[in-house]
Amino acid sequence: MKVSFFETARYRPARALPPEWPVPSEAYDREAGAEAYRRMIERLQYVEELGFDWVSVSEHHYSPRILTPAPIVTAAYIAARLKKIKIALLGPIVPQSNPVRLAEELAMLDTLAEGRLVVGLLRGTTNEYLTYDLNPAEARARTDEGIELILKAWTEPQPFGWQGRHFRYRTISIWPRPLQQPHPPTYALGVSRESCELAARNHVGCGVSYAPFEAVGKATRYYREQCERHGWRPEPEQIVYRANMALGETDADAHALLERQPNRAPFSMRQGVSDAFMRLDARNIAGEARAPIRAGALPTTFIGGPDTIVEQVRRCREEVGAGVLDLSLIPPGWGDPDLLMRSLELFGTKVLPRIREI
Amino acid sequence: MSGSAFREGHVEADGFRIRYLEAGEGPPLVHLHGAGGPRPNPAHALLSRRFRTILFEMPGFGQSPENTRTETMPELASTMAQATAKLGLATFNLMGTSFGGKTALWLALQAPERVLALVLEAPAAIRQEGAQSPSGSPEEMARRLYAHPERLGAMPPVDPAVRAKQAALVQRLRGPDRDRDLEDRLEELATPTLVVFGTADAVIAPAMGRVYKQLMPNCHLVFVYDSGHGIGTDRPEAFVEVVGDFLDRHEAFVISQTPTVIHP
Repeated sequence: MKVSFFETARYRPARALPPEWPVPSEAYDREAGAEAYRRMIERLQYVEELGFDWVSVSEHHYSPRILTPAPIVTAAYIAARLKKIKIALLGPIVPQSNPVRLAEELAMLDTLAEGRLVVGLLRGTTNEYLTYDLNPAEARARTDEGIELILKAWTEPQPFGWQGRHFRYRTISIWPRPLQQPHPPTYALGVSRESCELAARNHVGCGVSYAPFEAVGKATRYYREQCERHGWRPEPEQIVYRANMALGETDADAHALLERQPNRAPFSMRQGVSDAFMRLDARNIAGEARAPIRAGALPTTFIGGPDTIVEQVRRCREEVGAGVLDLSLIPPGWGDPDLLMRSLELFGTKVLPRIREI
Repeated sequence: MSGSAFREGHVEADGFRIRYLEAGEGPPLVHLHGAGGPRPNPAHALLSRRFRTILFEMPGFGQSPENTRTETMPELASTMAQATAKLGLATFNLMGTSFGGKTALWLALQAPERVLALVLEAPAAIRQEGAQSPSGSPEEMARRLYAHPERLGAMPPVDPAVRAKQAALVQRLRGPDRDRDLEDRLEELATPTLVVFGTADAVIAPAMGRVYKQLMPNCHLVFVYDSGHGIGTDRPEAFVEVVGDFLDRHEAFVISQTPTVIHP
């Protein structure tokens, strides 16, 4: 099992923040922001030292919960400050980006990072549709087309035009090309039928997140079936599972830690907006409909002391087939950074060495 | 109003005979004009394609006789609420422009159950210190009101008697730049509200928009790029698109429904 640390640039506000997304930017504290990025690098140096394989970053906007609206900037900064660990961009929100620009930036980043880049491409959480005025009815189609265009821009040696449904370019010829050939390890992130099919069709990895093993297992099973249909078999490392973990010295400690965490939806919007999204957005797990917006906190699927966690990781490997775990040890937007450092130490010393061989 | 079918009507309300222009079908949209009196513009014509659009001439403005009776903005709002009732409008959307934005806010505070949604076009209810109404020759007025007066035809000369009559009334009703009586009550106004400012407004500082956001629980702020104070004249299509969307969907108007398909 490979292990990735999900870095969210822990922003610690001096005072309570408005609960609603988007969070008014007047509440931003510049000192706290600068401190969050400083401590991010200290923390990641420790993460690297502990032997994590990847550090992952994501794209979220208009909120302090995950303070990385520009994941490419975050990744480039991390790549310059750390020398060994792989940098997983999980990932740029494709449907609201210019795919050619993304292909260029990712190729440049892979080169700057000396081939340490891992790329996850995704549609994004529902709230992010509001960020750059993305029509939810088109998000899926723009994601699929955008991902295929990025892969093409990385691999097509001759200048080419793209006559798409949502994107149109008369000539594309990117420089630099990625250092890793034909392109960096790439994942389509999402549990939907469409995402799994796209990943299988394009021979890229599949990334699933948060839901219990049984639910994400459905998606990864569907992905593997589709790969089979397209005549190939993914390596375990081509399935990544992002999850929350509550780790304690003992099982009881872990449950106590979990109980202290708020059961708050990560990006809660005004009621009228949420209601409209429930009608306008459609999500599924391997074809089975699910609500586009979660009511409470994201689930925590690894809970326990080291022994229990090791067993759960073993079960995850069997049921989900994941070869990479992308972990939050303390949920983003909660808890102080010292608590996270203690959890990291516990994980790095008591768990990580024991799950390598799983 | 060129190219649109606004009909003139009158309604007796609160002892006034109030003139209005009306066009279109659909959900009712009542408009309260600015300090310069009724000035139908292309945005009104566009709105009348989707809404039953009623442009009132408030007592003491335009062609109406001098109004020496109304003493305060809440009184004017009450008169206009009665006028809407006389027209048989149980509930309606309400749009106020500049000075009329303050009238609209008071009306909504007085009869929140009747106002479905509120649109404030460059509202003058909360003003930067020392804000002055535009004055001077028609050309000087146009330069204050619009980002692109050169795109407009010559401004019609205003009858000095009408101007004097309106100016006295506005002076009496406009209230202080920061009106505590109004602002203290805005937190209770849950009506879905859209505040629109032009980025080049030279009459009311667009930065005033944020104060409505801070004070009102269900308020949305939109800037119209490259527009002056008269948004419905400077950028009518841009203005009407966001207003129509807001009146249809209220706070869910933040979700884009614009297609980007180039080819099927």
